[in-house]
Amino acid sequence: MTVSRRDFLKAGTGAALLAATPRWLAARSLREPSLAPPITDPDVKPLALLALDAARSAGATYADVRLTHTWSRSFEPFNAIIQDAEEMAVGVRALVNGYWGFASGPYWTPDEMARLGREAVAHAKANALGKARVVELGKIRVVADGHWVTPVKIDPFTVSIDEVLDYLHGLQVYTESAYPGVSANVGAGFQRQEKAFASTEGTFVTQTLYRTDAGFGISYDNQQLRTDPRQPIMLPSSLLGSAARGWEYIREAPLREEIPILMARLEKDWRLPIKPVEVGRYDVVLDAAGVANLLAGTIVAATELDRALGYEANAGGTSWLNRPLAMLGTEPVGAPLLTVTGDRSTPGALATVKWDDEGVEPEPFTLVKDGILADFQTTREGAGWLAEYYTKHGKPVRSHGCANAPSALHATMEHPPNVAITPGRADVRLDDLVKDLDAGILVTNLTATTDFQHVNGESHSGNFYEIKRGKKVARIDGAGILFRAPNLWKSLTALGGARSLEWHGAAAVKGEPARQSAFSIGAVPARFKDVTIIDRTRKA
Amino acid sequence: MRGRSEPRRLLEEPRRFLSQAQCEALAQRAMRFAVGGGDTALYIDTWWSGEMRWGRNRVTLGSDRRNNELTVSRIIRGASASARTNQIDDVSIQGAIRAAERALRYRPTSPEDIKDPAVHFDYLSPAIWSDRTFALGADECAAVARALIEPAEQAGMLSAGYIEVRGAGRALIRSNGEPLYAPYTQAQCSMTVRDPKGTGSGWAGLSSYDWGRIDGAALAQRALQKCLASRNPVAIEPGRYTVILEPQAVHDLVQYVVMKFDRRSFAEQGNHTFALRPFFSKLGLKVADSRVTISHDPMHPDLGVVPFTPSGEPVRPVTWIDHGVLTALSTDRGYALQWLHQNLGSPNTFAYQMSGGETSVEEMIATTKRGLLVTRFSNISLLDPTSLLYTGVTRDGLWLIENGKISKAVKNLRFTESPLFVLNSIAQIGTPVPVFSPEAPAIVPPLKVDDFSFTATIDAI
Repeated sequence: MTVSRRDFLKAGTGAALLAATPRWLAARSLREPSLAPPITDPDVKPLALLALDAARSAGATYADVRLTHTWSRSFEPFNAIIQDAEEMAVGVRALVNGYWGFASGPYWTPDEMARLGREAVAHAKANALGKARVVELGKIRVVADGHWVTPVKIDPFTVSIDEVLDYLHGLQVYTESAYPGVSANVGAGFQRQEKAFASTEGTFVTQTLYRTDAGFGISYDNQQLRTDPRQPIMLPSSLLGSAARGWEYIREAPLREEIPILMARLEKDWRLPIKPVEVGRYDVVLDAAGVANLLAGTIVAATELDRALGYEANAGGTSWLNRPLAMLGTEPVGAPLLTVTGDRSTPGALATVKWDDEGVEPEPFTLVKDGILADFQTTREGAGWLAEYYTKHGKPVRSHGCANAPSALHATMEHPPNVAITPGRADVRLDDLVKDLDAGILVTNLTATTDFQHVNGESHSGNFYEIKRGKKVARIDGAGILFRAPNLWKSLTALGGARSLEWHGAAAVKGEPARQSAFSIGAVPARFKDVTIIDRTRKA
Repeated sequence: MRGRSEPRRLLEEPRRFLSQAQCEALAQRAMRFAVGGGDTALYIDTWWSGEMRWGRNRVTLGSDRRNNELTVSRIIRGASASARTNQIDDVSIQGAIRAAERALRYRPTSPEDIKDPAVHFDYLSPAIWSDRTFALGADECAAVARALIEPAEQAGMLSAGYIEVRGAGRALIRSNGEPLYAPYTQAQCSMTVRDPKGTGSGWAGLSSYDWGRIDGAALAQRALQKCLASRNPVAIEPGRYTVILEPQAVHDLVQYVVMKFDRRSFAEQGNHTFALRPFFSKLGLKVADSRVTISHDPMHPDLGVVPFTPSGEPVRPVTWIDHGVLTALSTDRGYALQWLHQNLGSPNTFAYQMSGGETSVEEMIATTKRGLLVTRFSNISLLDPTSLLYTGVTRDGLWLIENGKISKAVKNLRFTESPLFVLNSIAQIGTPVPVFSPEAPAIVPPLKVDDFSFTATIDAI
């Protein structure tokens, strides 16, 4: 080792962009590929502080800096495609007279830290030349030195490519040979993101977050059963999905037990008579996956505070809950049995962190309490927008920890936390809800699209079954549901119990430039009354 | 591109993205790390982005972001694999090369990837760089944003909007081909003006490579007028209506047709929009009204794109639909060599121009007994891939036309319709104009279309 990291850091290196090695730890040796510094390396903090010093000297009243180092690896066994990707980024945010500036780039070098600190302030100052704007940042408990790692059993990046490919390929071969006519499509992706956050208030925390995505699609080709002669029957299965877990999420999934159960059910369903849609109002039972999808498209999106106040008007849109201060504590958004909570601490859930991207340690909070709007998703600035309500009700003006960004290249904004429906008290499962249905419709794997205020929507896929005296009697072809969100949630008549709770991965896209965040939804099967069933491909 | 002079501002320091020389030097370093023979390719998108966002009449964030996106590919005996990184030091580049070589071991040899070596192609030089765009700094951008907010605030309305200017370089540098590099700029400006009570909403936006071609003040006026005129809408019954679609609304639908000009997928699946039956396309058949021609010429002053694809193929003029007849579907060079005995494919960059007519939107309104004027569509999702049936909603201004006049603002509606139906139900066509399409430029006319299918009323404004 010729140059120590600390020497390198002090030296500041003004060398030309390409001659230098912006990956600062690489200075150890140019011949051998060395691992990038772990985020807990003692030199990361002084590096981060360089950005804060620069922002402060340039005139920032508040500044924060994030460093992220993200690895991803994806497997597409069918086409034998394996792709690795690595991204390092640093982003600095500065506040001057109520206006924000942000600057980001790919290099973790001392010079770059200082440049980004100054650049962020220059942007804030340019914006601050106009009319006055006030930003009150919600209270924060300063953590001077915190470290956290997503608990995973097996870091997927320590598993050999051969083992992953072999396992995924085996799953496909097993499914296809055990069930003639079935073709399985298996894929997986892993992500590890190390990140550091430091602010001028004295917070410094680092985290290592893991995520595993797995897809397991099944299509069944039987000419006699095809409803459309050109299309094989696709049956997206929910045996795997996305979770903040390691390789064990796939390796330990009891697929060899679940596949026969799934196939037995699908084969039974395929043999049901097929009926055309009879448009009308029906009692409908949805499985947990469908409830999760509806929740994400309606209540989760509508309770994003920036959206509700109109800050997203030029992007994804606003919210039907558009007068937060007047609506909190009074606005009915569902039946009294509907309670919805937000939380970023559920083990294995995609939005789970120890600290959010503003250094706030999130606490669980209630968005909907017994059918009434109880709160919004907030960042530190957002908490200030609701200060009047919080103060009046003796609550602290404190962020719910929903600041998030895909990496430090992007500015943080409010993104959904993990959200869950509180299960019903009785130990009820999907089958029980179906059994209790005298006449109605069961829908599995429903997906829906809504409008730009998340109020009216329509399903665009899902498996619909006619239920008579508690039994599936037919598959309904081409059906969909048409809904108005508050009315749909008010028509909720029964919820599954705690044992029927399932976690499903979800994604939200918002902002300009657009960025995507992942979160998990905890949902139970549910029954609704008088749901409008339509022929979804029928034109007016 | 040989002999291409760099734009003046690019020569100034400090650089905000990697120059051609820097990309080539980077590639030279990378190629030294390759082990096991074969070829190496670096595809680089290196960019700077200046952004300004506002909401509720105040700027909420100004930002400066930069990044280098490198895709390192190794190609040995017709098999290829790649890895990505955003770092340009030796350690990272070597790591990416090793990752690509590791992935390559699992890849089968693809006959389509075996091409004749180092063929020289001629590349076009489209207009894609604007000094005006690259020069728009934070101070000027903030001043522009304030000027765009002003009319809305004075009228007691709430404005939310976004300006983005981008300067970038795209490079493809291969061990077996000439180095390609193209600097380009992108600019966009859009805003939504809303009534504080949430009873009306208007939008306007435009994108271009050249910031100088975007008239922000005109957009601000248009968004404000649409907001004021759309307030307190009344509900009307869903059903089939004659619709007058402004150019943006036409683009919101027709872009999905343009994305479908894809030959490979129908050949492989047979259930494609433009498939006649498995392995046979609708090429040569009539798929739209005779007045419809959809084409792309990269040399059009408003339709410039980077003149090469990620695999180094030249982007050339193409006519997808000629007077209603499907005349082309996209192919890559591998497919063209193997199946068509042609040296070049026809890539689809999604940039397009749709033919127009003489009728102004005012004339369309004046000649409509009963119909709807649509500003744009939003939240569009696919219902059926074969018939290209979509559902979505109208947004930011929908008006009822009665007896040749706009009579009232109406509540937004959900549609269930196919853009191909739209292209076959045209009553009148207007003059094509550039629209807001930051991903790929588009020039689109307004249309009057009969029997457009609206299936539900929605509450969202």
